[in-house]
Amino acid sequence: MTEITVVFFASLKESLGVGQCQAAGEFPMTIKELKQILAAQLNNGEALQALGIQASIDYEFARDADVIPSRVKEVAFFPPVTGG
Amino acid sequence: MISVQQEDFNVAELYQQLLLDNKTGAVAMFVGLVREFSDLSPDDCAFELEHYPGMTEHNLQSIVDEAKSRWTLQDVRVVHRVGRLSISDQIVFVGVSSSHRAEAFKACDFIMDYLKSRAAFWKKETQGNSSHWVEANEKDGISLDRWK
Repeated sequence: MTEITVVFFASLKESLGVGQCQAAGEFPMTIKELKQILAAQLNNGEALQALGIQASIDYEFARDADVIPSRVKEVAFFPPVTGG
Repeated sequence: MISVQQEDFNVAELYQQLLLDNKTGAVAMFVGLVREFSDLSPDDCAFELEHYPGMTEHNLQSIVDEAKSRWTLQDVRVVHRVGRLSISDQIVFVGVSSSHRAEAFKACDFIMDYLKSRAAFWKKETQGNSSHWVEANEKDGISLDRWK
């Protein structure tokens, strides 16, 4: 069992009520699998399953099927970006 | 040079920094500003930019590197502000210098297009007592198709 750091931003952070958490599981696993673990672990965790929620693995944008390696530093979830 | 910062930036200074002695033939620059988004007085409106420290800089560097691989450029400067801003404040600067105008125009346009869709920033608008996160514009995603 490995524990990793997961961070949240913007409206998703407000919906979940936390900016960061630790997630434990058997890595490697996919972004989709991590979402399911977090959805059960966090209050209002279903917000992670909302359409358009994006993810990153160590600062690289990631899709649901992308695999999180066991030596990952940080995974993030956030709504579509709106800079510029 | 890439900078994510709270402080305002000086366009004239950034322009000077883009010039290469006797070599630069073209400079293209873009400045994004906070425009009015409510009928309320500007004093009753606030605008906030959140970012993902570390990832944002990583995203911007990747975008600039991609622009440099596509066009022959002399220098690129990107400055993006974060934190609380007011109506009419400057948000973002993209400047590109090159020998010829076509490369400078294209690279500046490319960098802004990718910055809108592939850099970890989020805008929040406040009007009086009510706040909302700005939703992504579908057109920004479609605009990326031009570069594929």
